[in-house]
Amino acid sequence: MISRYVLAVCLAILMAVTGVSTYIYVGSRQSKAVAPPQKPTAAIPRAQGYTLPGTVYIEQSGALYSYSAGRFHQLTPEAGWTQPALSPDGNSLLAVKRSPMFSDAYLLSLYGAVRLQLTNNAAPPRSSWDSGANAWSFYPRLSPDQRTLWMSYDGPKVAGNNYFDVDMSVWAVPLGGSIRQGRSWTTANNYTGGDIQPVPLATGGLIYTKYAYDPDGNRVGQLWFTNRAGSAGRALTSTAAGCAQPSLSPDGHTIAMICTYQKQVSYLTIASWNGSSLGPLQTVISDQLVAQPIWAPDASGIAYMAPGGPAAPFQLWFLPKNAYNPPAPSPVPTPTPSPGGPHNGPLPTPSPSPVPTPPVIKPIQVTTNLGLDATSPLAWLG
Amino acid sequence: MPVPLGFRPGHRARASRRRLSPFRTIILAVLAIALSAVAGGFAYFIPAAAAAIQATGVMPHIASPSPTDLLTSPSPSLSPAQQGAFTVLLLGSDDDSKFSADHVLTQSMILVRVLPGTKEVTMLSIPRDLYVHLSTGGYGKIDGAYSYGSAGAAIATVSQDFGVHIDDYIWVGLLGLIKVIDAIGGIDVVTSSPVMDDYYPADVYGGDPYGYQRVAVLAGPQHLDGVHAMQYVRSRHSDIQSDFGRSKRQQQVLQAIRLKAKQLAPSDIPSLATAIGGELKTSIGLDKVARLVPLAATFDNPDSIHQVLLLPPYTRGGGPDGSVTPDWGAILPLVHQYFP
Repeated sequence: MISRYVLAVCLAILMAVTGVSTYIYVGSRQSKAVAPPQKPTAAIPRAQGYTLPGTVYIEQSGALYSYSAGRFHQLTPEAGWTQPALSPDGNSLLAVKRSPMFSDAYLLSLYGAVRLQLTNNAAPPRSSWDSGANAWSFYPRLSPDQRTLWMSYDGPKVAGNNYFDVDMSVWAVPLGGSIRQGRSWTTANNYTGGDIQPVPLATGGLIYTKYAYDPDGNRVGQLWFTNRAGSAGRALTSTAAGCAQPSLSPDGHTIAMICTYQKQVSYLTIASWNGSSLGPLQTVISDQLVAQPIWAPDASGIAYMAPGGPAAPFQLWFLPKNAYNPPAPSPVPTPTPSPGGPHNGPLPTPSPSPVPTPPVIKPIQVTTNLGLDATSPLAWLG
Repeated sequence: MPVPLGFRPGHRARASRRRLSPFRTIILAVLAIALSAVAGGFAYFIPAAAAAIQATGVMPHIASPSPTDLLTSPSPSLSPAQQGAFTVLLLGSDDDSKFSADHVLTQSMILVRVLPGTKEVTMLSIPRDLYVHLSTGGYGKIDGAYSYGSAGAAIATVSQDFGVHIDDYIWVGLLGLIKVIDAIGGIDVVTSSPVMDDYYPADVYGGDPYGYQRVAVLAGPQHLDGVHAMQYVRSRHSDIQSDFGRSKRQQQVLQAIRLKAKQLAPSDIPSLATAIGGELKTSIGLDKVARLVPLAATFDNPDSIHQVLLLPPYTRGGGPDGSVTPDWGAILPLVHQYFP
C-alpha cells in the first residue's frame, strides 16, 4: 500500500519523464533525408572502409579537401573554392574561387596555398540595377606543356550593356598572362550557356562540352572536338545522347562521360578514342545519378560522384575496372573420355563443363554522410 | 481486547482511504504513462498542426462572373480511369517587397491532373504572359489574375479560359519554395545546361527589390538547396525559350521535390511546417492532405508523368504589352485530352 501523496508525486514525475521522453523520441525519428551533410574532416573512416589509391581532391561547401589513405584534409577555408584540377606534372592544383558576382582561376600548392591568381574578373561596382562587367571563369585546366591556361569564360564584358545572353566559350590564355593575351577557341551557341569543361590534349587539340538546341528546342550537351582556335570543330556525340563532363583515361585511348538522354537520369558512359573520333558509347552505370567521372591514375577504375540514396546529397563512389573491362575468361578445358581398353559401341559424348559466370562487379561507395558539390570535377593524383 | 500501542480509533480507516491498493496503483501508472506519452507526442506536432490549420483549407473568394461554383461543382461523368481524379492549380508568386501581400503576380501557373486509378500525373504549364480574358473583367496577361483578385480570380480565369474544372489550388511564394526545398534537405536535379543570368532579380535576399545579381547554375546532376533551385527555376533571360524554358525547369524541380518528399518521415513534419510558415496557402483541407500523402508515395513510374508546354504553334509571341497570344482552337483540344 502506497500513500496517496507519495503516489501523486511519483505519478507526476513519471508523467513528466514520459512526456519529455516521448517528445524527444518522436523528434529523434526524423528521417536522414533532411539531416545536414557532415564535414569531410569530421567523417570517421570506417574500419572496413574502401581506400582509394593516391589522393583525390574534392569540394564541399566552398572548401577544397584532399582524400588519401581513407582520411580527409581541408586545404582551403569555406570561401567559394571549387573545381580543383591537377597540373600535368602533379605539383600544383588549379581551382576556381567563386564570389557572388564573378569567379577567378588560381594556381595553388597541393596543400591549398595560393601561388598565383590567374584571372582577374572582378569589375568595379556600379549600381544595384546593373551587374557590371564582372565575368565568370570555370573549369580551369593546364595544357600538357603547362604553359597555357584553358578555361570556360563568359567575358569580356561591357558594363550596362543590358545584354541578356550569357554564354561561356573555351579560352586559352598564357599561364600568368592577362585575358587580353588569350583567345577564344570556340564559338558558343547563343542562349545555351555555351562551351564548358575543356580537356586539352597532348596532340594540341581540345575536347569540350558544347550546349545546343536540339530540333525539339531542348537544350542539350554534346562532346565536341576541335584542333584549331576558331575552327568550327565537330560533334563527337549526338544531341539525343546528351553527353557532358568528358574525362580522358591515363593512356589517352578511352573517354568517360555522363549521358542523360534528355531525361532526369545520368549514365556513366565510356567510349574508345583514337585521337579524332569516338567509338560506340558503352553505358557502364545506369541506375545512379552519376556526375564528374575521373579515371584512376593507375587505370584501376573510375571514381565519380552520385547520391548516397534516393534524392540524397552526393558521395564519392568508385567503379573497379573489371566492371567495364572484364578480364578475358580463362580457356574452358575440353573434357576428354577417360582412357580404357577396347570399347564396343559409340564413345560417350563428353559433356562440357559450364562456363563460369563472371561475378557482377558493383560500384563501391567510398563516403557516406558528405554533401559533395557534384558540379565540381574531381582531381586524382597517383 | 487489548488495544495496540499507538492505535487510535478511527485513524486506521482514514489511513486506508489515503492509501491505494497495488492494483489501483498499477492502473493509475499505466494511465499516466499513456496520457503523458500522447501529450508528449501531441506537443511535438503542435507547430505542424498550427501551421497546417493556418495554411490549409483556405477557400478562395471567387468574386467573378465565373460560370460555376468552381471548387464545389461536381465533375462530369467520368470513365473508370478518371474515377477519383482531381485537378490542382499550382501558383508560384514573386512575393517580394515590390508588391503588397495579396497583389502579387504569379510567375508560375501549373495545372496538375492526378489520376489515382492509373497512377498518372499530367502537368500543364500555363505561360505567365498568356493574353487572356481575366475573370475580374477585361483582358491582360494571365499572371495578373492573382494580383487583381487573389487565388479566386486566378482559378476562375484558368477555369473559364481553359474550360477546366479545378478542385483545389496551392499557392507558394518565392521564399516559400526556398524554405520548402531547404526544409526537405535539398533536391537532386539534372540541370540540362548552364543557367546563366546577368540580370537575375536580387529581390529575395538582396535588400533592393529592383536590384540585380549574377547567377550561374552549372550544368549536370547536382544537389540543389533552396536558393539555387529557385535560381534554376526562375531565371529566364538566358533561355531562348524564355518562359517556356523556365516552365520545363519548374516541372523538373516539382518532380524532384516529389521524389524527395517520399523519403520523409512523419517526424519531419513539424520542422517542415515551421520552416514554411506563412509562405504556402492551399484550399486542400487537412483531411484531404492526410489522404493524399500516402497516395503520392505510390506514384513511382516517371514515364507516367506527362509534361505539357504550350509552345508554338499553341501560342505565338508579339501580343499586346509583350504578351503571348493563345491559339485556343489548338489549345482547348489538347487541354481537354488531359483535363476532361
